[in-house]
Amino acid sequence: MSEPQKKKIVITRFDPDQDEVPKTQEYEIPVQPDWKVLDALNFIKDEVDGSLSHRWSCRMAVCGSCGMMVDGEPKLTCKEALSDYGDTVEIAPLANFPIVRDLVVDLDGFMDKFKSVKPWIIRAKERAVEEGPMRQSPEELEEFKQFSMCINCMLCYSACPVVANEPEFIGPAAIALGHRYNTDSRDEGAAERNEIFRGEGTVFSCSFANECSEVCPKHVDPAAAVNQAKFNAVIDWAQGLILPRGGK
Amino acid sequence: MPRASHPHAMQPRNPGSTRTAPPQMSPKFPMQGRYRAYTLFDWTGLIYLLLGFLALRVVWALGTGQEAWNVVMDQFQSPVYIGFHVLSLISVIFVGVRFFSFFPKAQPPRIGPVKPPPQPVILAGLYAAWIGVTLVMTLILTGVLF
Repeated sequence: MSEPQKKKIVITRFDPDQDEVPKTQEYEIPVQPDWKVLDALNFIKDEVDGSLSHRWSCRMAVCGSCGMMVDGEPKLTCKEALSDYGDTVEIAPLANFPIVRDLVVDLDGFMDKFKSVKPWIIRAKERAVEEGPMRQSPEELEEFKQFSMCINCMLCYSACPVVANEPEFIGPAAIALGHRYNTDSRDEGAAERNEIFRGEGTVFSCSFANECSEVCPKHVDPAAAVNQAKFNAVIDWAQGLILPRGGK
Repeated sequence: MPRASHPHAMQPRNPGSTRTAPPQMSPKFPMQGRYRAYTLFDWTGLIYLLLGFLALRVVWALGTGQEAWNVVMDQFQSPVYIGFHVLSLISVIFVGVRFFSFFPKAQPPRIGPVKPPPQPVILAGLYAAWIGVTLVMTLILTGVLF
């Protein structure tokens, strides 16, 4: 039987009780050809160093928990084949997020930004149950379906150079979600959200680096959503100037 | 180690009691991988700023008289100015191509009741307009038109 292949995994470690700044630690481990990057982390956690902290859950690129920087790129570690990387693989926590411990980042800032775009269906008047379900045609669904596929893995925040430099920027996933509801035919809250989108640190902070769309594991294309939202926010503002009662 | 992000990047409104390490940027930012094109795209702004000053100088020479105009035209023959204009041309083409590649997907699925044309049609229209304007400008500058 042949020797299993070995890889050196370089992991960023940070213990808030002991470390001033994050440091790196190397692990040389035997790997299997069918392993994902997450399998290597779980092997280290189970067999080599139980003190390692990392997040994961579904192992099928659905829950969005296991996002990390793999060789400098934000990736879902459960989706990335370890064999696609060289003999040394560097794994770090998601860029642009405060680090809680090792590979675990603080999500609360993301949740604050998320809520700020009112990511739910807003109706001027609640529909009575007796009126039956709100119907939507396949064409209407198609207009926002792509933007509803987001799994909140935060890889887009990690890749975005504006997030890195502008703390107020609400970021790609949150804007994509707001835009998703603005394009939903059942929603009547577009004017409210466009008001938010015209504010400080929102759609107009985006410099269209397109990195969010490049790294998105679900092909949501947040850059498209942000820039469509820019367009709609301007149209909505212009309508407010030209039409009586703001076109409402 | 990668560079630090803004110290307040992705900080919660009400930070918890656990001490966190400050956020770090992607180690590839600003000049590795795909970030290189984005950074160069940003730097072309400096070239357009210099071009703007140059245009003001040309307009000033035009208003001052024939002699000033001739001095500017003579200076434009120098390798430095020719090099700068070649660099400007490359920048304009680079920015144009990058902008055109992103523009179609920035169109909302509908503007009021109107649906924009399919993305390849928008892209073809942009390039056709660019080529058309370039041709017209060339004809004007070479004296064929007007």
